[in-house]
Amino acid sequence: MGQSTARTEKESSVEELKNRREWWFVAEKTRSKRLDYLRKGVWKKGAIGGNYAPGIKIDLTFPQLFIDKWQEHEGEAIMLQKAHALAHVLDNIPIFITDNSQIMGYIGSAPHNIVWHWQGISMVNEEIYNEEGIIPEPEEESLEILANLNDYWGGRTAVDKLARVLDPEDAVKFMSGAIGWGTPTSAATYSTKDFDYIFKGFEAILAEVEERMEETEEKLQGNPSPEILPLYDKLPRWEAMQIVLEAGIRYAERYARLARTLAEHFESDPERREELLRIAETCERVPAKPPRNLQESLQFDHFVQVLSRYETFEGAWPHRPDYIHGPYYDKDVNQDKRLSKEEALDLVGEHLIRTHEVGIFAPKWAREGLQGITGTWVWTMGGVKPDGSDACNDMTVAYMQAARLVRVSNPTFGFRWHPKVKDEVMRECFECIRHGLGYPSMRNDPVLVANTVHWYGHPVEEARTWVHQACMSPCPTTKYGCQPMRMASATANCAKMIEYALHDGYDPVVNMQMGPKTGDPREFKDFEDLFGAWVKQMEWLRNILVRTVNLGRVKDPEFFGRPFLSAIYERAVETGTDACDPSNGDRGNAWVTGFTWVENADSLAAIKKFVYDEKKYTMDEVLDALNANWVGYEEMRLDFVKNAPKWGNDDDYVDDLMVRCLREVSRHSKENRCPSNNTWPLLPENVSGNIHYANLVGALPNGRRLGDALYDGGISPGPGLDKKGPTAVLKSCGKFDHVTDGRAFLLNQRLSPTQLSGEKGYQLWKAYMKTWADLGLDHVQFNMVDDATLRAAQKDPEKYQEVIVRVAGYSAHFVDISRKTQDNIIQRTVQGLG
Amino acid sequence: MATCKDCKGFFAREDDQDRGDCVMRVTDPRQAYYKAVPVEADKDASKCSSFRKR
Repeated sequence: MGQSTARTEKESSVEELKNRREWWFVAEKTRSKRLDYLRKGVWKKGAIGGNYAPGIKIDLTFPQLFIDKWQEHEGEAIMLQKAHALAHVLDNIPIFITDNSQIMGYIGSAPHNIVWHWQGISMVNEEIYNEEGIIPEPEEESLEILANLNDYWGGRTAVDKLARVLDPEDAVKFMSGAIGWGTPTSAATYSTKDFDYIFKGFEAILAEVEERMEETEEKLQGNPSPEILPLYDKLPRWEAMQIVLEAGIRYAERYARLARTLAEHFESDPERREELLRIAETCERVPAKPPRNLQESLQFDHFVQVLSRYETFEGAWPHRPDYIHGPYYDKDVNQDKRLSKEEALDLVGEHLIRTHEVGIFAPKWAREGLQGITGTWVWTMGGVKPDGSDACNDMTVAYMQAARLVRVSNPTFGFRWHPKVKDEVMRECFECIRHGLGYPSMRNDPVLVANTVHWYGHPVEEARTWVHQACMSPCPTTKYGCQPMRMASATANCAKMIEYALHDGYDPVVNMQMGPKTGDPREFKDFEDLFGAWVKQMEWLRNILVRTVNLGRVKDPEFFGRPFLSAIYERAVETGTDACDPSNGDRGNAWVTGFTWVENADSLAAIKKFVYDEKKYTMDEVLDALNANWVGYEEMRLDFVKNAPKWGNDDDYVDDLMVRCLREVSRHSKENRCPSNNTWPLLPENVSGNIHYANLVGALPNGRRLGDALYDGGISPGPGLDKKGPTAVLKSCGKFDHVTDGRAFLLNQRLSPTQLSGEKGYQLWKAYMKTWADLGLDHVQFNMVDDATLRAAQKDPEKYQEVIVRVAGYSAHFVDISRKTQDNIIQRTVQGLG
Repeated sequence: MATCKDCKGFFAREDDQDRGDCVMRVTDPRQAYYKAVPVEADKDASKCSSFRKR
C-alpha cells in the first residue's frame, strides 16, 4: 500500500481490493456512511508504543465531582459513601451525543478524555501527575487539582490499606515487579455479569431491595439475639444499591432529555430527528425497565457497562452479546420486520465502536503488557445453551460481519466451537481471520465446559453459559458462578521458576533472594534434583501470588466497596452483601495466569540433554554462560538454541517434560485454595508480558539472553523454533489433557494469507480445525497477515494505520505496538497447511 | 447580571424549572457532538464564553 497504491485505492473496485487483500479499504468502501463516520470519529485510547496519542487527556471533572460528595459523606459505610459519590457523578458529569450515533453512554466528560480510578492505587495517581501530554489545559490548574487529589488519597487507596495488612516480605517481593503483576483489589479488575437477572430492569431490582430492607427492619424490631446483629450492616449496603440504581436510571434519563431537546430545537433533518426521538424513548425505557427491542437491549447493555466502569477499572469485558441480544434481533429483523438487516448491522457495528472508544488510564507497566489497547475485552460468541443445543444465532453472524466493517482492535471475539456449529457460522469466523483481524480466537467448547466442571464443580448447565472472564478463562454467567473480581495480580512470570531453580532462589536481575534456597545446582546429582528444585520454586511463586490475592479479595468490601456491582448481582441483592464478599455463595473461579511458561520446558530439556544425558557441558559451564548472559559463549548458545529439543516439534523428549511440569502445577493448584475454598489452576498465556518481562528475566538455558523477547504464547513454541509444521505443533499441544492439566492454554499460529485464499483456503483451514478439535486442544488463534505487509508497515506506519494483528489474548493495530513486539510477531513461523 | 436561563443554550427541566441543561455544539478534530451540562437556571453567566442571549 505505497503512495501509488493509495492513489488507486479510491478508483479500485471492491473486488480488486479484495484480490489485493486490502481489507481495510474493502471495509471503508462497504460500510454505511453512519458507521464510517462513527469509526473514523473514535479517539484512539490504547497507548501507542506505550504513550497516549496526542489530544488524549485525563478527565478531571469525574474525580472532582466524586470527591466533593465523598468527603461530604466521610465516616459512612464505604459502600454507602461511594454510592453517594457515584450518584453525584452520574447526575452532573457532562454527557454528549455524537452526530449519527444511536447508542448512548461514555465514561468521562468528553470523547477525547480517559478516566482513572484514584481510589485504587496511590502509585498510579502519582504517575498521572508526572505523565506528559495527558494533563488538560490550563496545565497549572490541572496539576493543582491532581496534587490535592494525591494529598488526600495518599494512604487511603485500596492498595495502601492492603499493604498495611500484607506480610512485609511478601509485599516487597510482590512489588519488585519480577515475579508477577497486577493489583489485588477490585479497583483494577473485571466482573462477569448475569444479564438474565439484570434485564429484569433496575426498577424490579429496586423493588427486590426494598422488600429485603422491609423484612430486615421487621426482624430488627423483634427479639434481640446474636442472629440479628449482622443485619445492621446489611441495611446501608442495600441503601447504597438503591442510590446507584436510581442514579443509573437518572443518568439514562439525562440522555433522553438531551436527545429530545436536540430533536425539538436543533435538528433539521427529519430522519435524524426521528432517530433522536427513538433514542429518547429508548433511554426513558432502559435500564429502568426490561428491553423490548434490539436498540433497547444494546442500550441497556451499554449503560450497564458504562456504569460499571464509573465504579471501577474493569480491565476486561466478560460478555456474550450474541446470546444476550440474539432474541431481540430475531424479533425485530425476522419476526416483526421492524428493522432491516442493514439497520441492525448499523446498531451492531456501533455497539463495537462504543466499546472500542472506552478509555481508562493504565500505568506504564500495564501499557507495556497490553500494548495498543485499553484492556483485554474478549467477547464470547457461539457456544451452546444450558441444555447443550447450539446457541449460535443471527447476532453471531451480525457481530462477525460488523467486525469486518468497523475493524476495531478491541473488543475482539472468542468463538466457542462445538461439533454442531453450522458451516455458515464457521465461514464467518474464517472470514474475520482471513481479513486479518486476528479474531475470533477458536475455543473448544466441550473441552472447556468439562474443564469448568472439573476445576470448580460448576453444574454442567451453568458451565455451558460461560464467557471469557478475560482473554481466556471461562466463567459461568449465573447467580453463584459469576466472578465479581478477577484479580490480575495472580499473574506469574513463570520463567522465574527455572531461573530461581538455577540460582538457589536468588534473582540475578533484581538482585534479591526471592524464592527458597533449593541448593547450588552444581551440587545436584542428577536431573531429578534440578526438577525437585524447580517444583519448590514453582510452589513458592504460586503461593506468594495466591496468598496476596486471596487477602485482597476478602478485604475488598472493606477497602474498596462495589455498590453498583452489588446492585446487579443477584446473590448480593439477596444477602445484602458486597458483590465481592466471598461468603455470599460465590462458587469460585480463580486461576493463575502463567506468563512466560514454555521457557521452563525448553530450558529443562536443554539441561537434561546436554548436562545429564549427553554430558556435553557441565552445570558449571552452563551457569557461567548464563551469568555472563551468554556473552563470550555464542557458539555454545547456538548449540542450545539449535540442537536442544524444543517444544512444538512433536518430540517426546521435551514434550514429556512439559506434561510433567503441568501435572506438578495441577497437583499444586488443588492445594492452593481461594476464599470460596476452590482451586487455583494455571492458565498459560502472555498478553504482551513476553515483551514486558524481557528485561526482567535473565539468560536461560534455551539460549535466550536477558533482553530478548520471551516466547509469545501460553503453549506456543518459541518463534521460529517449531520446525516440523503445524500438525507437529498440534500434536505436541495434544499430549496433555486440556481438561485436567490446567485452566486453558493459549496457542498462537501464523497462517499464509496466500495459501488460505478462496474456497480451497477455507477447506484447508477447516481440516486443520478438525485436527485441532480431535486432539482436544482448547484454544488456537491466528495471524493471517504476510511478512511483506508487516515489514512495509514498520517502514511506513502512516500508511498502514488499519493493519490489525493478534498479539496474544488480544488484537491490536500493528502500528500501535512496540518495535520489539512487532518483530516478535514477524518472527513467528508461518505455517503451511495441507 | 446575565444568568444561564437567559441563554439560548439553556433548556429547563420539565420537573424543575430552576435547573436545566446547558446544551452546546462541539466540533473536535475527530467528531462533532452536542454536549449537555447540568446547570442552575439562576447561575451567573456573565463570564461564560459560550453565552448567547436568548
